[in-house]
Amino acid sequence: MSGRTSGHFPTRVLAACLGFAAVAALAVGCGGGGGGSSSGPIKIGISLPLTGDFSEPGGAAKQGYEIWAATVNKQGGLLGRQVQLDIKDDASDQNTVVSDYNALISRDNVNLLLGTFSSLLNLPASAVAERNHMLYVEPAGGAPEMFSRGFKYLFFAQQATANHQGDLFVKYILGLPPSERPKTAAYPSIDDPFAIPVIDSIRKKFEAAGIKTVYHDIYPPSTSNFDSIASQVKAANPDLIAHGAVFDDGIGFIRALSKVGFEPRYFFETSAPSGAAQFSNGVGIKNTEAIFYAVSNTPEAHTPGNQQFVADFKKKFGGLPAEDAADAFATGQVLQKAVEEVGSIDDQAALADYLRSNSVDTILGPLRWDDTGAPHGQFLIGQWQNGTAEVVLPKSAATTNKIENRRPGSS
Amino acid sequence: MTELIQTIVFGLLIGGVYALLASGLTLIFGVMNVINIAHGAFLILAAFLTFSLWSGLGIDPLAAIVITTPAMLAFGWLVYVLTVRPIRRAPPSSSVLLTFGLALVLEAAMGLIWGNDSHSVRPPYFTQSFHVSQIVLPKAQVYACALAVVVLGGLWLFLARSWSGRAIRAAAVNPQGAELVGIDIVRVSAITFAIGVATVGAGGSLISVLYPFLPGAHYIWIARLLGIIVLGGMGSLRGALIGALLLGLAETFTQTYLSAQWATAVPYAIILVVLLVRPQGIMGTRLREDVAA
Repeated sequence: MSGRTSGHFPTRVLAACLGFAAVAALAVGCGGGGGGSSSGPIKIGISLPLTGDFSEPGGAAKQGYEIWAATVNKQGGLLGRQVQLDIKDDASDQNTVVSDYNALISRDNVNLLLGTFSSLLNLPASAVAERNHMLYVEPAGGAPEMFSRGFKYLFFAQQATANHQGDLFVKYILGLPPSERPKTAAYPSIDDPFAIPVIDSIRKKFEAAGIKTVYHDIYPPSTSNFDSIASQVKAANPDLIAHGAVFDDGIGFIRALSKVGFEPRYFFETSAPSGAAQFSNGVGIKNTEAIFYAVSNTPEAHTPGNQQFVADFKKKFGGLPAEDAADAFATGQVLQKAVEEVGSIDDQAALADYLRSNSVDTILGPLRWDDTGAPHGQFLIGQWQNGTAEVVLPKSAATTNKIENRRPGSS
Repeated sequence: MTELIQTIVFGLLIGGVYALLASGLTLIFGVMNVINIAHGAFLILAAFLTFSLWSGLGIDPLAAIVITTPAMLAFGWLVYVLTVRPIRRAPPSSSVLLTFGLALVLEAAMGLIWGNDSHSVRPPYFTQSFHVSQIVLPKAQVYACALAVVVLGGLWLFLARSWSGRAIRAAAVNPQGAELVGIDIVRVSAITFAIGVATVGAGGSLISVLYPFLPGAHYIWIARLLGIIVLGGMGSLRGALIGALLLGLAETFTQTYLSAQWATAVPYAIILVVLLVRPQGIMGTRLREDVAA
């Protein structure tokens, strides 16, 4: 009996203590949450695809964000406060990325947000930020539908949206002498909100210029076997292939083309060829030759701060930064500039207003946006030459004067 | 006509590899009633082991099978003893949750060891092909399919001719009866699980040559392999072979004659139709569950 009584008393005390602790924690949470805290580090919430299908670019973006945070902190922080990144892994999943950003905002009370990788994930993630009236600058969500929703807090930190990624390449091809100009083209693409607009835009411009479409198909992201698609493309015998890829599918398709013994004269591919050594290791150095791609940054680019970024990256991670790392770094620069110019993180609408009205210098070059948060600039065009990724267009940013106009093995 | 033959060739070549990958999954289910969701993760683990052997020691990925297969056999045994055996009397749903958790742990571990980026194994023949008239036979696919046939043949011989193999078959057909005649079901289960995982040791080496891979790739593979064994009849090795060939052919025919966009949907629609007609799958057998217990 006494045992039971003595057992109940501590239980009630414990329950009371827990209740008090919960109320106290809630009170503390409410008082210090969101952007209200004006001392201590500035917490920046990010969700990235560190595992799953997009782990390759997601990991690179994490590196870029980390270099940016270290750079800011070395320079004295943001508004005099150190920057602290709170990075979650969304496993390349749309539902998880939504949960992550909701948790970052309402549970972790981060002060600012930075975006995730790929249009697929940024589409739902940016909606969470918009609902919470938080600035959302993102490094890799250039699909046109990102900017057709009337969002006020969304900004894409690259030079242009997806449908303009291939503009310079199209201009170059259409400017070739008639004897070198392709007459037919094939357009395979992954079912991806970023890749499809790039390829559709290129196709429409080529068709308008009289280049006949001989193959056009979209494959699901789960596709791993490209032999049949490559065989179909070979049968269509195009002079040019513009391939909408993410990464592994870009490698798989190039390998499949080699297996079926077909090389077009001109080959353009989205995203994958900008993966530096990951790409050349995947397809083999020999198979990279003369592949065109659009790119936002290269380690050789002479944009403000780029060489310092490359040096810091080499020191911290070894090797050269991938394009996605540079894009993430530039995204941090955009956020930093807005915060520094507004002088506060409390009014996120003011941060967005600043970006809508001003250009920001980044390692990608100057970036500026329209009212929808879509950037208005021009991508670089890269080409693999002798195992090296070179910038070939525009001439002002080119790292070589030479442009290869024929894939080895093409007829 | 060339296009038709080419499509059939591509479908059979990839179907042969699918058959090897699915054989272990169906074997484990047939004997143990365990749906091993970690099967895809074991496959990717074997691909990473092959990558290390190829990049570190220069071992040809197909020759690496003699290392990856016993390594995965031992790993499978260990996984069985540490994780599956304790829940062997629990309902099948427990094994689904357990092996799904195992897949997530393996994915994270592979990410820590090899990194969450794309890896490729590129022996000299990885983009070469044999040409028979106008028909293209990619060397990697031919070697992979031939090795899959050899491994499947070896597995069949083991199951048909050895005492352990007969014990496994007996346990699959009638576990209670097998136990009554002195077969140690726990030991048989351990052997079965280890062999099932060993088949993906070989399979992982083969797919490392065929496709780039990363730790998260196991989701795509387990979805495909589950589709194959459901189509063929869960627990039936012959069914897995037929299901794999059908799925390989369905994928390539859809890509060639319909649209690449439908290459995932159509094969699964076929599985759905087959299951409507034969709920137990092509080679599966119906159980009277009222008397099965």
